[in-house]
Amino acid sequence: MSKDGSDNTEVPFYGKTPLLGNEAIAQAIVAAGCQVATAYPGTPSSEILPFVASTADRLGAAMAIEWGANEKVAFEMAVGASFAGARACVVMKQVGLNVAADSFMTAAYYRLKGGLMLVSADDPGPHSSQNEQDSRMFAMFAKVPCLDPSDAVEAGEMVYDAFALSEKHEIIVMLRPTTRVSHCRQAIEPVSSVKPGLPVKFERDVSRWVALPVTVKKNHPLHNLRIEEIREEFETSRYNYEVKGGGEAKLGVICSGVSFATLKDITRGRTDVDILRIGTPYPLPHKLVNSFIDRHEKVLVLEETYPVIETQLMNRERVSGRWDGVVPSAGELLPEVIEGIVLPLLHERPSAADSSELDAAMKELGIEPRKPQLCAGCPHRASYFAIRKAFPNGIAPSDIGCYSLAVNQNGIDSSLCMGASVTMSSGFHIAHAVSGQERPIIATLGDSTFFHMGIPGLVSAVYNRHSFVLCVLDNRVTAMTGGQSNPGLSGKVRKGDEGSAVSIEAVARGCGVKFVEAVDAYDVAAGADAVTRAWESAKANRTPAVVIFRHPCMLLRVPQSVVPVKVDAERCVGCRLCITNFGCPGLTFDAAKKKAEVDRRGCVSCGVCRVVCPRGAIVEAA
Amino acid sequence: MAGTQYIIVGVGGQGILFTSRVIARAAIDKGLPIIGSEVHGMAQRGGSVISHFKIGDFSSPLISEGHADVVMAFDQKEGIRNLPFLHEGGTFLVNVDDPSMLENVHLKRYIADRRIRVCGFRGFDILDEHAKGAYLFLNVLILGAAAGMKIEGCEEAPLTAALETLSPPKFLSENLKVFGLGLNAA
Repeated sequence: MSKDGSDNTEVPFYGKTPLLGNEAIAQAIVAAGCQVATAYPGTPSSEILPFVASTADRLGAAMAIEWGANEKVAFEMAVGASFAGARACVVMKQVGLNVAADSFMTAAYYRLKGGLMLVSADDPGPHSSQNEQDSRMFAMFAKVPCLDPSDAVEAGEMVYDAFALSEKHEIIVMLRPTTRVSHCRQAIEPVSSVKPGLPVKFERDVSRWVALPVTVKKNHPLHNLRIEEIREEFETSRYNYEVKGGGEAKLGVICSGVSFATLKDITRGRTDVDILRIGTPYPLPHKLVNSFIDRHEKVLVLEETYPVIETQLMNRERVSGRWDGVVPSAGELLPEVIEGIVLPLLHERPSAADSSELDAAMKELGIEPRKPQLCAGCPHRASYFAIRKAFPNGIAPSDIGCYSLAVNQNGIDSSLCMGASVTMSSGFHIAHAVSGQERPIIATLGDSTFFHMGIPGLVSAVYNRHSFVLCVLDNRVTAMTGGQSNPGLSGKVRKGDEGSAVSIEAVARGCGVKFVEAVDAYDVAAGADAVTRAWESAKANRTPAVVIFRHPCMLLRVPQSVVPVKVDAERCVGCRLCITNFGCPGLTFDAAKKKAEVDRRGCVSCGVCRVVCPRGAIVEAA
Repeated sequence: MAGTQYIIVGVGGQGILFTSRVIARAAIDKGLPIIGSEVHGMAQRGGSVISHFKIGDFSSPLISEGHADVVMAFDQKEGIRNLPFLHEGGTFLVNVDDPSMLENVHLKRYIADRRIRVCGFRGFDILDEHAKGAYLFLNVLILGAAAGMKIEGCEEAPLTAALETLSPPKFLSENLKVFGLGLNAA
């Protein structure tokens, strides 16, 4: 894996190449002459910006390509660039748009100068997210036109149209891929040229660029007018079309996104289903949709994840979908789910093979889905072991990142959204304080998350005098999303760009924190000691304390000392503490022998587990 | 429906994505359309990983249960768990870790009823013996095994060419060697 998230930067470019949807989007961003591209990483969007950078390098495009400290920062960087006249885009995942919502909702009304495309990637399922929200709903909320691709090829094509639409109407345009589009791989021709950018020259225009009530009163109605113009244009958009069954179709299905592609494969060869594919879910082209509904006895709407098209329908009398409960209101519309919805509407039963023998086999063999887990040698595992050792009954609010997986080690008690470990610690503290109680509160968050949204909470906690320990798990990278850089490091996404690293210690001190200490995360004894003293200090001084657990992420493959380990079977009493409290893939438990064992396929010889066994049974192998 | 549908399963970190990219490259070189769905992000951290991959005239990156031609399993438990994807008479290419598991009576009955062709190979043992236990090469070994077992869309020559194109220079010679080991594992 490269340091910046794309595993595909070394792909040779000749003829059609198997590209991810995210890579198709990325290369189109460069080819469309985008001048400023910003993002904050988040699955399923993370590969876009690194591939923008590698494509810009390959084609020598004059572009600024940067990670913002969070999505709001990235969004506003792109808005500023647009005001200055540049063609800009900003990329994030669906929950990232919540962070950028403040600027997004207001920027929607503006008459922009340079084209501005927002890519907000949704995660139905979810596969790698804390919710299943639908960005198209956000587009409707903000009154921003939205394009909804069904596959990787189309996702790339929509980029050019998004910029064109944005520049024609001086409006933000949202491109909304889902995980199955972002991580869909198809054969795509690599781009070979870059469209010229726009002239950059900021011109003062207070009535246009300053959001005062008086300008909003004028701009909001104008904004409504241009949305109606776009709705009219969408009536004939090439992204909205019918796929006719050819027979006397009783069922008409309105669908968008990957549900359209899946339905097409399911209904191939059938003549009794007509499909209206909608690639522009907002603003909905009413005439096109109404005419389709009028021509069908029964209409079904398939879209992920919320009823966005369905909600906009003026007449839902003959329409099935989420409103009448025919389509499940949560989870992905997998092929099996769509078959289970569509076939009964055609009075057929989905055929399912008898799997009772397989179920019996899996039960006997103990086969279950494997949960994601912290990597072998992950510094977070050592950090959580140290924290739990110091405070077995402390409250452990955590955050969004790989360390959420410490739930497997009973390392964390809560996670909500980026930065909430800090602010919820404040909440835990004041709730206990107001009822005359006190409990150790040991919060954890990662380096990138600290810069993303940890700082305002820390400032607030210093100001309000809240006692808790904030542990920053600094693994020198934004790990969960594939290894992006962040403000704590000097590396930037584009080759040759050098940033200036921001010190976590200096930020914490600057926020007013007095107790700031850093330890090597692998040093469990030092970590436990630092957290113990930090809590004493926080309690005594009624203020937060900060401990930084520092050690590079295993995925960075930084050379480190190799300490091969083994389990001394004589000393191992089979208590399983090393499995339940440490849970490293390098340690397994032999149920027959009732002994822990080192699994050479998983172990990376970091040596940390030697401190885990209370009997000292895990020792360095000679 | 004209085409071949593969389900590739294993555990996060085994390098599954590289395998589907090599098959994809080989298919594209033959002038065939491809579409697939991969897993990135949290699910890669040691959890179950599944790649859907289709060669031919398809719109959706996803495969319905009962429609896959091949299940390729880097991990035998993950492979067994995903057998419902196979259509009757489909092929199960599996890195066999614990052969006793495949002797389970219920499993044998399921495989017989569904007329599943089982192609097993001892991936970890082969890599222990010939590649100093470098399990990272399992993704290339499985490709070799697929070619060796004459699995649809996995012919030796186009896969070798694709491997030569896609391998990072420092791994090329080792990749070709392991691919050869896979060919002979069949």
